[in-house]
Amino acid sequence: MEIRYENFRIWTEDETVFFDGVLRLAGPEAYAPIYSLALAALHENNERVIFDLTGLEFLNSSGINLLAKLTIEARTLAVVRLVVKGTARYPWQSKSLPNLKKLYPQLDLQLA
Amino acid sequence: MSKTILGIYDLTEASFLSGASLTLIDGPLELGWRHSGLTSDFIADAMALPFSASKTLHADIHHSIGYLSNELIENAVKFRQPGKIMIEACVIAGVFLMRVSNDIDIETSQRFQDILTKILAADPSELLIGQIEANAASDATGSGLGLLTLLADYDARMSWEFEPLAGDRIKLTTTASLTLPLASNG
Repeated sequence: MEIRYENFRIWTEDETVFFDGVLRLAGPEAYAPIYSLALAALHENNERVIFDLTGLEFLNSSGINLLAKLTIEARTLAVVRLVVKGTARYPWQSKSLPNLKKLYPQLDLQLA
Repeated sequence: MSKTILGIYDLTEASFLSGASLTLIDGPLELGWRHSGLTSDFIADAMALPFSASKTLHADIHHSIGYLSNELIENAVKFRQPGKIMIEACVIAGVFLMRVSNDIDIETSQRFQDILTKILAADPSELLIGQIEANAASDATGSGLGLLTLLADYDARMSWEFEPLAGDRIKLTTTASLTLPLASNG
């Protein structure tokens, strides 16, 4: 599965959902296809799902809301271990990703 | 009806004489969503330029200015009435200042003032988590989540002026400031 646009690309490989580029879509409706793709990964993998954000240069607040909704979904499913891989190279990640751990303390946040 | 001011009053008096001033005008430009990203990229590029000697510092400043600009211009594009969006930005003494003005309708004005009153009365970090939970449950938009990320994650200071105009329109002027992380050793 892959969603590609001129300045971003989202795709899955096994248990990993990769987010790459600059994401600043207009709101929940615009983010719906990406939400569905990541939600499917959460439902299809029984042990572990990785959201790899190390290539995600920019995410607007609607996108942060999308990650939060997916985190809450993983919390509800409980059986899945959610790993979020980020990087300090893109400042938004150190500022905003720790909020996901406040929503779901068992989330494995890896900020390299 | 008189002007209503919410947030940090001092910001409403900030001067933007030495900086950038941009006006996005409806019409052939087909003012829309993608102008917010384009315009905020330009503002971040222009305002972070003096800090390009340090790669780490530049990346941090460029990002913070870009995120704040994008959120304010997205809100203007999303909630405005037809007409222009006026944008001013400058960096003075290590502080990035930005002002965005556009017209909104009375209902939007009232709804936004209610949200702001709630935001300003609470701790933004706690409210951010609560609002994320509420959004996940309801799929709502226009909850002020973007503003909460600015206040909680970026320590932005902000003010909002609501000025009644003729024809049931309100001129909304949002001013924000960010203290730039100049102490970084990048």
